[in-house]
Amino acid sequence: MGRALTGVPPKLMLRLYVAGTAPNSVQAIANAKAICDEHFALAYELEIVDLISHPHRALADGVIVTPTLIKLQPPPVDRVIGNLSDAGSVLLVLAGV
Amino acid sequence: MTATATLDARTLARRLAEAEATIQALLAGQIDAVVDSATRTPLLLSKAQQALRDERDRAQRYLDTPDVILLALDLEGRITLVNRYACVVLGWSHAQLLGRDWFDACLPAEQRAERKDAFHSILSGDLAAVDTVVRTKNGDERLIGWRHTLLRDEAGRVTGTFSAGADITDRARTAEALRIAEEHVQQGEKMEAIGRLAGGVAHDFNNLLTVILGNCELLQLDISPADPRHATLGEVAKAALSAVGLTRQLLAFSRKEIIEPGVFDLNEIVRDMRPMLERLIREDVSVILNLSPDDACVMVDRGQMEQILLNLAVNARDAMPKGGTLTIETSNTELDATNASRIGAKAPGVHVVLKVSDTGNGMTADVQSHLFEPFFTTKDVGQGTGLGLATVDGIVSRSGATISVQSAPGRGTSFTVHFPKVTRQGGPRTVTPSSTAVVGVHAETVLVVEDAAGLRDMTKRLLNRLGYTALIAANADEAMQSFERGTRIDILLTDVVMPGASGPELVTRLIETHPALKVVYMSGHMENDESIVHDGVLNPGIAFLRKPFSSEALGRKLREVLDRVG
Repeated sequence: MGRALTGVPPKLMLRLYVAGTAPNSVQAIANAKAICDEHFALAYELEIVDLISHPHRALADGVIVTPTLIKLQPPPVDRVIGNLSDAGSVLLVLAGV
Repeated sequence: MTATATLDARTLARRLAEAEATIQALLAGQIDAVVDSATRTPLLLSKAQQALRDERDRAQRYLDTPDVILLALDLEGRITLVNRYACVVLGWSHAQLLGRDWFDACLPAEQRAERKDAFHSILSGDLAAVDTVVRTKNGDERLIGWRHTLLRDEAGRVTGTFSAGADITDRARTAEALRIAEEHVQQGEKMEAIGRLAGGVAHDFNNLLTVILGNCELLQLDISPADPRHATLGEVAKAALSAVGLTRQLLAFSRKEIIEPGVFDLNEIVRDMRPMLERLIREDVSVILNLSPDDACVMVDRGQMEQILLNLAVNARDAMPKGGTLTIETSNTELDATNASRIGAKAPGVHVVLKVSDTGNGMTADVQSHLFEPFFTTKDVGQGTGLGLATVDGIVSRSGATISVQSAPGRGTSFTVHFPKVTRQGGPRTVTPSSTAVVGVHAETVLVVEDAAGLRDMTKRLLNRLGYTALIAANADEAMQSFERGTRIDILLTDVVMPGASGPELVTRLIETHPALKVVYMSGHMENDESIVHDGVLNPGIAFLRKPFSSEALGRKLREVLDRVG
């Protein structure tokens, strides 16, 4: 509530690493979008990186498994590994707890 | 230095947390690919996962085989595995069943203790196949045929049971239905055999009874009514008449009796029968007639109608061992299409209703359901044949009528018969007694053709007594010879079935040379001769005398035919 009163809330920037249309990756994309749409509405950006098409992008964030979701903004940088089916744990990370 | 060291510690903690999260995600099957540290390319795990999933799906498909219930129980009888078909049969979901006590959840309460004992026998190695009843979610009961096997751990210890079950409820029902159908077929065959036997016996029996009755009558005519022998002969005749009734009962029941439908007022039949009914019924039973003010005309065979009344009255009497009231009611009622089909009537319209009620014991629904079956009787051995109501049912259906019964234990019984109503004018034939005197001196000559010698001679004597000139022939050939000799013959009285040519065949031959010849057929049971009867009903224009006959019936029938114009 405090943030809402001070003006524009900081934008949530996420990057999701997936492996093509592998089942957990597809599920992770759907879960990430659903959680963000519900809790962060339009104040988020979700970049989806397919390591099958862009294998070298894994280097940048030190990703070793897919699916991996990285919260880039606001700090601290944090990550969630798996298909994001546990929405509660995902929210804790996104909220920076 | 301190700051760097702190940073490293944080990074380490974060890396550890990430590693743990990665392992957990891997264990949970949530990882698709691992990035190869050397090539920096993702190695897909999905193929291995797909293979695992396929394996799991295949196992599930085996488990979910349609039409087989698969069930695993632990040592306590809790459900540890249940397949889709089991859920379909039992009506519970997989989640509702898993972990529950099988005996509490799915067995009828009264069988739980027994089945639990049996479960312990299974655990100790008694794996015999058994059929048991299970109760579904909505309370239905299904019969399941089970095969059991034991589940064991690696050390060989029994950990529970694994059972396969087939729902055999429908199969059991089908088998039961088949058994009942077979019984009906057997019953039908039995009835047909009895019918054939009855027909055969009745033919000879009726000839004998005609001789007995005729001779009794002839003797009585010779003896003064004051003579005690007159009464003795009366007793003989009475016994013979009972035998006639019994024969007719058998014939009616086996549908071998020739029926002569005519238009009769049911009210008149009931009134005429009252003295006889009152004799038949004990003094502690009062008879009440409640007859419709309008006529109650129906198309029936009078003898058969009397038999319906007689059988229903006797039944009512036997239902009231401590006395009571027998009520016979008639009424007219208009049945609309709905009511007509409800009672099984052929067509809507005005019906004559005959209701015979007693104030007796009444019947249970079970007894009612067997009521019209032949040989079904609630009476003691020797007290009833079990043919009475079966006969009534047979006559009723042949008359195009329907019968129903209303009863409850302790509340009496009512039989209701619905006859299609006819008008007096509408009937094809009504039986009208001849106005000419039956006994006297008659100018006519009668030729009796009968193969049974006793009956032939007795009939001749009866005819002489009635005032006719009588000639006799033992078969068709002898009869032909009489005609060929040029003897004057006014009327032919012939048996139907005889050795050699039959009665109808004889008539066919004679009619060519004697077109004006008058004929009376006599027989005791339904013949398969289409020239006389069709479906058990006498063809129009055929004169017929039912054996056994009295001299009066003989005389009346002869006059009826001889006096017929044209």
